[in-house]
Amino acid sequence: MATTTILDTVSPRKPARLAIPQTVRGRYRTIKTVVAAILLTFYFVTPWIRWDRGPQLPDQAVLFDLPGRRLFLFGLEFWPQDLPIAVGVLILGAFGLFGATTLAGRVWCGFTCPQTVWTDLFFTIERLCERLFGKDTLLSNVAKAIVQVTLAIATAIGFAAYFNDALTFPHALVTGAAPMGAYIAVGVLTLTTWLFAAYAKERVCLHMCPWPRFQAALLDKDSLVVTYQRWRGEPRGKKKVPLRSTLTDLSALVREASSFDAGRGDCIDCQRCVNVCPTGIDIRDGLQMGCIGCGLCIDACDDVMARIGRPAGLIRFDVEGSDSAGSFQKPTVRFLRPKTLLYAILCLVALGSSVFGTLRMKSVLVDIDPQRGQPFVQLSDGSVRNDFSFRLAHRLPTLDRIAIHAEGLPGATLRFADAQTGHEAVHLAVPGNRRISDRLFITAAPRRGPSGRTNIRIVVTNAANGATLEEVETYFWGPAR
Amino acid sequence: MSVQERDPLTGQVTTGHEWDGIKELRTPIPNWWLITFIVTWVLSIGYLVLYPSFATTKSYAPGILGWSSRNDLSEATQQARDMQSAWRNQILATPLEQIEDNEELRRFAVAGGVAAFNENCAACHGVGAVGQIGQFPSLIDDDWLWGGTITDIHTTIRHGIRTASDDARASEMPAFGDVMTGEEIVATADYVLSLSDRSLDAMRASMPGAALFADNCESCHGAGGEGNREFGAPRLNDAIWLYGGTRDAVIRQITQPKMGQMPTWESRLDEGTIRMLAVYVHTLGGGEK
Repeated sequence: MATTTILDTVSPRKPARLAIPQTVRGRYRTIKTVVAAILLTFYFVTPWIRWDRGPQLPDQAVLFDLPGRRLFLFGLEFWPQDLPIAVGVLILGAFGLFGATTLAGRVWCGFTCPQTVWTDLFFTIERLCERLFGKDTLLSNVAKAIVQVTLAIATAIGFAAYFNDALTFPHALVTGAAPMGAYIAVGVLTLTTWLFAAYAKERVCLHMCPWPRFQAALLDKDSLVVTYQRWRGEPRGKKKVPLRSTLTDLSALVREASSFDAGRGDCIDCQRCVNVCPTGIDIRDGLQMGCIGCGLCIDACDDVMARIGRPAGLIRFDVEGSDSAGSFQKPTVRFLRPKTLLYAILCLVALGSSVFGTLRMKSVLVDIDPQRGQPFVQLSDGSVRNDFSFRLAHRLPTLDRIAIHAEGLPGATLRFADAQTGHEAVHLAVPGNRRISDRLFITAAPRRGPSGRTNIRIVVTNAANGATLEEVETYFWGPAR
Repeated sequence: MSVQERDPLTGQVTTGHEWDGIKELRTPIPNWWLITFIVTWVLSIGYLVLYPSFATTKSYAPGILGWSSRNDLSEATQQARDMQSAWRNQILATPLEQIEDNEELRRFAVAGGVAAFNENCAACHGVGAVGQIGQFPSLIDDDWLWGGTITDIHTTIRHGIRTASDDARASEMPAFGDVMTGEEIVATADYVLSLSDRSLDAMRASMPGAALFADNCESCHGAGGEGNREFGAPRLNDAIWLYGGTRDAVIRQITQPKMGQMPTWESRLDEGTIRMLAVYVHTLGGGEK
């Protein structure tokens, strides 16, 4: 009989199983509750944190400003061209996940996945309602529906608050002032939250999620997974059946002699491990795709073992294959393995690249391109002018005024479209949207313009402190002489 | 129909057809396929009735919904116009000289002006209004035949140059080939070219063309060749020569002058578009206050 079935066929909660898993207390339940509480707090509180960026900018610490195409993250502001940094973060996330899975199995699934966290929360609500208003009563069902839908709406609004000003958004939503997209987003998220956490529950993990399918490729013989210690659990039997002698006397001789022992193993087939499982599987069938590695069956079994006076750990986090090893001793986890080291290096590379990229982000972007059409304009006093399109966007805390001058063309004057006369250095006020788009005219001094093409450098400085913001290399055309 | 017969090997019913001892199994297309096929036919009849579908001898069957892609387009265009109407009204209500002072209004006018320019003006004045030497004036330099303030530009666009319109800008330079001798024309041309050369200032008055210029050209082009925008008489003392600044080109222009024409846009474009065009041209680099 195969002890490990990685690609087991899984069926959703069988009719005989419980619609809501039973409650359980223990070590992993506590970890799960604490992790869920931290994550939910993080999720709901983050949009409300304020961060002062000055009068022109939003004061929300974390804000995805989609219309403005920018992301505010505390003191940082990201623009679409910073996407490679996000790629680095995603790579870090992916290899972090691979590494965690390699070490300790599906801890992501069991403790931190939003599906797990929300489903767990919704299970708690269902159990609470049943305890308060009785099982399968109308009142209990109505209470469940109200609380769950309310929570789904709160989740949706919480999500949308990352994309809108959290302080005014809920009010705008109620008064009908919010944009249509906000209502659609909140509607869709309410529906999906309710559908996934209240209705589909473990079906998402069993049938929709691709992650369980990856685990076979990520786990190895040193990964911790939830294991049922078959060697001491089998054969299962009622509590009153006497225990197998091998379990009480570990002498090898006796073990040999007692192969015909009619006694039972440590498992008394109480079904607690099945009844507390959020995906409704039977861990005693071995490692399987439906196991999200949350450890609740361990809590349940340890409790039962304590009650019948047997050592804990019939179900425990252990390496695959330990279920027939025949030892009460937990093997030590090998953290340093080629695979984990590789993941660690890749994580460090991704992290380093992201940090490096973030530190090197340009705060001022300047585009100066020659206007298409003709390379130069002949002016009536004999001088030549070159026209450029000038675009500037910045994300500095303050930048009220810029000064621009050209190098490499002595005596040249500059002006923008709305000015009549040119100057050697031209000043321009930066509007509140922190973007400038204008025509820049550079006129060479009469009779001093270049013949043909010459390279020039246009220097943009902060008018307030003279700091150079950007230097753009371009060229200036004059008539061939 | 022949008697139903089963193929012994597969157990499937045969069609009863047989060729050279080979029998055909009855494997009809699946029902879902057949039903889908029939449904598509039914739907196609619906389309035939509802939408324009087939040509008639004179026209076409419009379908009972009366839908047409042309109507869709004009509706969409009208919608876009309605959305812009607030801006357009503001452009019509704002005095011409003040449109550029309003940053948002200026941006709207320039955006609309670019589109209108590319559609109507770029054919002659070129994309980006750079003009064509010897043909059409550049609109981005600082030299204007008829004036470079926004009001001047607006008037020029609205009424055109040398058209049949009563308000059009009009003037005519005589063809001096008919009244002057060849030597006189050459002398005049040399004098004209000297106007833009400061090094000749001292000796210019003694040039043979000086008297000819004073008699024939000064009344329009000015004593120093400053030009006169009243008549669209170009400056002759600058570096910009619409019809060429070589000696040959100037001689040709005196002998048999070219005079540009520009259509009256009043009758083709609405006032809002003309105003937007004026703003766009005015902001291209040569606009005068």
